[in-house]
Amino acid sequence: MPVDHKRINGPEISIPYQLFDKLNTKSLKTQFSEIVQPNGTRADGRTSTEHRKIFLKTGVVSQAKGSAYIELDQTKVIVSVFDPREIPNKTDYSSKGEIYCEFKFAPFSCHKRRLHQQDAEEQQFSAIMKQALESAVFRHEFPNFQVDIYAMVLHNDGAALSAAITAAGVALAHAGIPMYDLITSVTLAVQGNHLLVDPTLEEERLCQVPLFKEEENNHGIVVLSVLATHEQISQFYQSGYLSYACLSSGIEMLTNAAKDIVTLVKKCLVKHVIKSVRIVED
Amino acid sequence: MSKNRELLSKIGLRQDGRRADELRRIRCKLGVFTEPDGSAYLEQGLTKVLAAVYGPHQVRGSRSKAQHDSAVVNCQFSMAVFSTGERKKRPRGDRKSTEISIHLRQALTAAIKVELYPWTQIDVYVEVLHADGGIYPACVNAATLALIDAGIPLKEYVCACTASLANNDVPLLDVSHQEEIIGGPTLTVAALPMSGKIVLMEMSQRFHVDHLQKVLDKALQGCKDIKSILDEAVKSHIQDVGSSTGWASTT
Amino acid sequence: MALCEAEKTFVLHGVEENFRVDGREREDYRPIELETNIVSHAFGSARLRLANTDVLVAVKIEVDVPYPERPKEGKLEFFVDCSANATPDFEGRGGEDLAIEISNSLSAAYKSPEVFDLTKLCILKGHKCWKIFVDILLLECGGNLYDAVSIAVKAALWDTRIPLVKSVTVDGNNVDMEVSDELHDCQKLDVTAAPIMVTVCKIGEQCIVDPNVAEELCSVGAVVIAVSKDKFSTVLQIGSGSLHPQTLLECLQMGEKVAQRLSEALTETLSEINPNKNQDVGFLK
Repeated sequence: MPVDHKRINGPEISIPYQLFDKLNTKSLKTQFSEIVQPNGTRADGRTSTEHRKIFLKTGVVSQAKGSAYIELDQTKVIVSVFDPREIPNKTDYSSKGEIYCEFKFAPFSCHKRRLHQQDAEEQQFSAIMKQALESAVFRHEFPNFQVDIYAMVLHNDGAALSAAITAAGVALAHAGIPMYDLITSVTLAVQGNHLLVDPTLEEERLCQVPLFKEEENNHGIVVLSVLATHEQISQFYQSGYLSYACLSSGIEMLTNAAKDIVTLVKKCLVKHVIKSVRIVED
Repeated sequence: MSKNRELLSKIGLRQDGRRADELRRIRCKLGVFTEPDGSAYLEQGLTKVLAAVYGPHQVRGSRSKAQHDSAVVNCQFSMAVFSTGERKKRPRGDRKSTEISIHLRQALTAAIKVELYPWTQIDVYVEVLHADGGIYPACVNAATLALIDAGIPLKEYVCACTASLANNDVPLLDVSHQEEIIGGPTLTVAALPMSGKIVLMEMSQRFHVDHLQKVLDKALQGCKDIKSILDEAVKSHIQDVGSSTGWASTT
Repeated sequence: MALCEAEKTFVLHGVEENFRVDGREREDYRPIELETNIVSHAFGSARLRLANTDVLVAVKIEVDVPYPERPKEGKLEFFVDCSANATPDFEGRGGEDLAIEISNSLSAAYKSPEVFDLTKLCILKGHKCWKIFVDILLLECGGNLYDAVSIAVKAALWDTRIPLVKSVTVDGNNVDMEVSDELHDCQKLDVTAAPIMVTVCKIGEQCIVDPNVAEELCSVGAVVIAVSKDKFSTVLQIGSGSLHPQTLLECLQMGEKVAQRLSEALTETLSEINPNKNQDVGFLK
């Protein structure tokens, strides 16, 4: 791995102090039962199917063609979209335009400090994001060109990828790039028979490993992006260990949750249009 | 212990039981893959190499590379991360593999009739699966076979071989990894064995200039031996391919 | 490879009729060849040839220090190298994007403790553990890379032998370990739950498995489904298309069914391999 010598990269090996925290001595199972009640009520008072409150705003980066900022309670992501430009280092003609995505956690966004270079997880998220957005954009409208999308997570409190995809959809619309549909994305965390929509970081962490025995060893994370009007799933990603029954009910839950967000996205875009029309009128 | 570390024992046997002028066993096969225009697999002792040839085709990347009077030969050498005893970090891009790529290109350009294909490019890719000394010679030999499989006109076979000097006196043929570690000079020669031309020569460590001639002769002899082995392989491959179409049975 | 509209229609009609270009049915695989233990520098290895797709997997083991947040676990790392032998496009760093995509999907599929138990790789809690490097070399791409890679990885892990640790001594901060000298003193990894990936490809209105290159070009979207035992360990949508939720569910069902069959076939094949008989033929065959 090439190292950027102009930055102070910090020590190569460091251990987050939280590991030595007294609270950490509890078993994961107790931690989970503290966060999620048996009836599905979560630490912040939401039910298991309830999404966190969303704040969405367009036009936050003035240099970019289009941009959006999204907050899912603590999770904060900023996305900017730049004008189409020629695909670099490519000589042959491509009839469809390209989408370039760069997903990045800010160094201060997580418990552990992130490096400035993309790590494997960020590269994977970039690829998933690209996959999600490709089917939403009229790529044949800009052959031989590429649209650059940069997503920066300012604070990661779970479901950062979903937030980034939703915001990227809004930013693309804000940039005036022709699209088939608005794209919205929701994350689901599964532990045993608890299906938690839009998990926080803590919930995500506790869903990485199975906590319950035998029949209830389902666990994992599902990310799903939806083009609501066309009823199409543009991206689907699951990791963990899930049965078909669990996965199918999860998909249904996520599709509904994603559709619910569309109204909010629309409202946000309408607000932007009204604002720009007013500016023209003045 | 010191006795064990001799390149050549008193009775004239080497670490792996070979005589001084003996090559390691060479086994090879042409046409191992279907996607490339030509491909070959070669084992020289434990060293295992795969080579693939694409082309001649239109020059890829910047058009300015194309030459009006000859084909561009493009080589890439790469080593599988598991090919060495200790796991490698990267398969290619380090200094050593870049050097081998350049040397490979040098040797192959000398053998290919590049003037027949102006404005084109020939790609040669070699992949080392198991490294046990003499990587470069094995790559050259595998690449020759792959070029023949691709049907690219060559002036003649290009073969490479290493030679060393034991006890400051006896030249050794085809150095293995074990012998490389023990030390002793290594002379690598890539040659066109039929005309006796040397296309590349590289030497590490030192011996007296008086010994050079006999070590070089030994290496060239090795190239000639390898050539006849490769020739045999090509002939039997052609026969195999031919017999499936029926023409070999007529002879 | 480029296909014209007529060729695409031909492939499409074949899929509709359940009689594909090469005569297979929609749920059929192309012939698979599998060899294990062919890289002598490695602790375990496998070479898989699925029609024209050629994959070589080697497993290397090193001693490492466990992650501080998971002191009781060993490490498992996947590295994919796309050899330029496969296609000139992979020259230099050309194959890196594909390599990262495949290695990430593998890490995701092997992440759950139900799938692969990393705690068995721990030597001394917090101090020493085995780190398993699974190195995958793509030698030829003839479609359906994910499936080929996942089967080869499972076979290579099955073939892997971890040296037995005789004793571990702790002296202050120094940890010394002694590995058994006996060559045959080693333990095998438990790979019964190791996932098998199945790429389900949607062509026209139908779903197929094991697409060849031509079929991959005709598909509107594909789902890579990693199945471990009877559960899904990773599902990943690839390609630029989108799917209806119902199609996705159909794909999942089909993937699970095919993966079960594939997994059974693999277990059977592996049990037939006789370690004493030298079946080493490698590329010379």
